[in-house]
Amino acid sequence: MVADCTRVELCGRLADPCGPLLDLPIPADGMRVADLISILGERFPPLQHLLADQRVRACINEAVVANDMLVRPGDLVALFPPVSGG
Amino acid sequence: MSRHVELVESAFDPLMCLAAFSGGLEDEGAIVSFTGRARGASRDGHLVQALMLEKYRGVTLSSMQAIVDDACRRFRITRCHVVHRAGRVLPGEPIVFVATASPHRRSAFEATDYLMDRLKTDAVFWKREEHAGGFAWIEPTARDRSDQARWLQCDSEETCPESMKA
Repeated sequence: MVADCTRVELCGRLADPCGPLLDLPIPADGMRVADLISILGERFPPLQHLLADQRVRACINEAVVANDMLVRPGDLVALFPPVSGG
Repeated sequence: MSRHVELVESAFDPLMCLAAFSGGLEDEGAIVSFTGRARGASRDGHLVQALMLEKYRGVTLSSMQAIVDDACRRFRITRCHVVHRAGRVLPGEPIVFVATASPHRRSAFEATDYLMDRLKTDAVFWKREEHAGGFAWIEPTARDRSDQARWLQCDSEETCPESMKA
């Protein structure tokens, strides 16, 4: 299955080690959020310890989703560390 | 019920917000407002050059609107006005303005308190303090969390103030 690159936005402290935007190939039939987080950690080792925090949440098309949701090519994807509030 | 929720990326004047809010009142007997300002020192006493409030697309504003919706359901208020800064905020500049109005004072006091406790913990922002040596990310303190938890506890307790049972 051909994999298209999807841009993942990293918010807050997640952007510190590798910057706020990372590209990741997503298979045409999608990838679970939990797998996306795990693969990002493997590809970008400085991010691994931050992504290991169970409180990191994925946001797909501006909605916070569970880790078993599918990310599809073309989705607007962001990862949120715990929010700090205003 | 009238509500105004705004996310701004440049300095705003809380007095103008209060004037605009007050100008729209009808027969309410109470207005309570709160303004939060950026401090020039961190909790551990270091000088802070600026506070950076990072937002995410439409999600941050939606989180603020959800908090305001909860407050409007929970308290007998007739009007609510929330303005929040995003971006780089200098010490002394306002970060947040909250105002509520109600027929009697208690509901407006409690709704404003509730809104601030929720905004301080649940609004989708990531904050960092900039200082001479770099920056530090800020998370809600134990006090912020216990302030927010008061309202959850209150849901199931007989001691809840009358105005919150509405």
